[in-house]
Amino acid sequence: MVEFAVWMLAGAAALALMGLGWLALAMEVHWEQVHGQTGPKARTRTLLRLLGSMLLVASLLLCLGADHPSMAVLVWVMLLAGGAVLIAMTLSWRPHSLRLLWPKPA
Amino acid sequence: MFQNFRLTMAWLHTWFGLVLGFVLMVVFFFGALSVFDREIDRWSVPQSRFAPQPMPSFDQLLRPAFERMQPSKESVDLMRDRVDGPMPDRFDTVRSWGAYTTHRDPVLQVFASYEVPKARDPEETLFTLHIMDPRNGALLPDDHLRLGSQFFFPLHYSLNLNWKELGTWIVGFAGLIMLAALFSGVVMHRKIFREFFTFRRHKSTQRSALDLHNLSGVVALPFHFFFAFTGLVIFASIYFPVAHTQLNPLHEQSEQMEAHATGLPHERAGVAAPLASVDAMMAAAQARWAAKGMAGEIGFLNIQHVGDANSYVSIYRAGTDRVALTGEGMHFKASTGELLREDPPRTAVDSVTEFLTGLHLQHFRHWLLRWLYVVGGLLGCVCIATGFIFFVEKRKKQHAKAGGQGSRVVDALALGTVTGMLIATAAMLLINRLLPSELPGKGDWERAGFYGVWLLTLAHAFWRSAPVALARHNPAWREQCWAIAALAPAAVLANWVSTGDHLAKTLAVSYWPVAGVDLCLLACAAVAAWAALKLSPQTTPLVLAATAEMTHG
Repeated sequence: MVEFAVWMLAGAAALALMGLGWLALAMEVHWEQVHGQTGPKARTRTLLRLLGSMLLVASLLLCLGADHPSMAVLVWVMLLAGGAVLIAMTLSWRPHSLRLLWPKPA
Repeated sequence: MFQNFRLTMAWLHTWFGLVLGFVLMVVFFFGALSVFDREIDRWSVPQSRFAPQPMPSFDQLLRPAFERMQPSKESVDLMRDRVDGPMPDRFDTVRSWGAYTTHRDPVLQVFASYEVPKARDPEETLFTLHIMDPRNGALLPDDHLRLGSQFFFPLHYSLNLNWKELGTWIVGFAGLIMLAALFSGVVMHRKIFREFFTFRRHKSTQRSALDLHNLSGVVALPFHFFFAFTGLVIFASIYFPVAHTQLNPLHEQSEQMEAHATGLPHERAGVAAPLASVDAMMAAAQARWAAKGMAGEIGFLNIQHVGDANSYVSIYRAGTDRVALTGEGMHFKASTGELLREDPPRTAVDSVTEFLTGLHLQHFRHWLLRWLYVVGGLLGCVCIATGFIFFVEKRKKQHAKAGGQGSRVVDALALGTVTGMLIATAAMLLINRLLPSELPGKGDWERAGFYGVWLLTLAHAFWRSAPVALARHNPAWREQCWAIAALAPAAVLANWVSTGDHLAKTLAVSYWPVAGVDLCLLACAAVAAWAALKLSPQTTPLVLAATAEMTHG
């Protein structure tokens, strides 16, 4: 049981990070930093925003699965804060590594 | 006064942020350390390095220990002036005995309070508090300062300025200003969403410092807001002390009404009565919690009016699985063990208060959330430190042209609160391990060392500050980073030499309280060394020493 909660929290952290990464990629400046070309196209941008938001919601659901709701909300909010810093630092130091989240369009 | 609202907010943010920022830096940094106060206690008091223990048997272990206890000589001396006639040799009328532990505590906090015969105010009470080894009932020496819970934690909320609660008031005011700074910061920041993930480290120091300031402020905005706010809620009774001032008669009356409503006696009966088995009551309380679907350990045990027919035993659950500080108290008649009362479900208002205070005080068992709180606290430190740096960078060229010293002074003060505070903390840990355990008043030496070293770092910062007046960097940033990089591993080494608990050993047995402090010290040293290298004159002075805060937990 305890083990399971740990996996759920690890999943919540991973989803939050990925979701934030997609939301960042939906922004022109960051797309350019990552892919070195202008973009994203309007359709891709909508898709990135939609998928990013969905992952953040999924991350919250995993938090709720792991803990009492009062605690889960705190964990989720703090995961978003930590995740946003990680994404921002990745964009600043190793922007290309975010291509893992969304391949460079041909 | 100003052309528009945004400029007014900018003025408020800049100047109140600058002045109270020095206080907030202390509050945030030691708040982040306080998340692991019990673990730092283990590190600083090696006698208490063993596994957390549940509440021990009362009948066999606690009761004889409580019966041996008496108020300390110092507290008796302090009381002398408020009593008619001489003080007795022994205090036999015990108002209460209490014991408290958490899921992170190997040691037990025990306290007793005593009635004072012939006191002018019959409410006068003598208190005594000790730390006990729950495995054998032995008391730990009182003059060993538990650095986490007795020094860093009170530094976080009171700056350890106890005179007329001055420190608590300053911190409260700073908390209020923090809320204003968050609001004005959001108003000033035009691109909250557009620059949410932005850190342009290749731009000027001024630009990259502002990016970090915005980043650390915005992503952790809910954390900053809720911690400033709940901090004020926790101390509301100090900031608005109505219960014991204007409403004092009502307070007394309310206590009596509450006693009447709950059936728990407010006064002694004056008739002696024996004490039934408290272990049986503890078992009964745990059985009832389990029946309610919330099985748990006992966190707090209190016996009121000890030895009297009106005596009762209150047993509270340790709140480890939810945020709200809820005890689900069970109250038993001490002489018979009969259940007098079970705390009713909480009202909505109580639930909200308990959630808010619980959010801040974090009694829960959730290591991930604890670490995330450390991250939040350190992001607060980064936010304040980069605020200082931005303030200086923005002005130092003008000041240099005009011959002003303003940015030089602010920069030196910032040094004292960023790197100076880290040096003082590392030095205190080092002193703690260097001083012999049997030294009388060891804690006082440690305190003196902390403040002394801190003052030295401030003096050093001012002494080296001349280049700032010429719009250059103060070399003390680099030098103090090197000092951190030297002191922190020295503390780890001193811990090894003085206790034999080196990292290979503590990691092998997974004794995280000590291994964790050691690892954090090493991580802090690594970041400080990296910052010092980046700050060396050959490389562009781009990387902010403030990042040294990032990994120190």
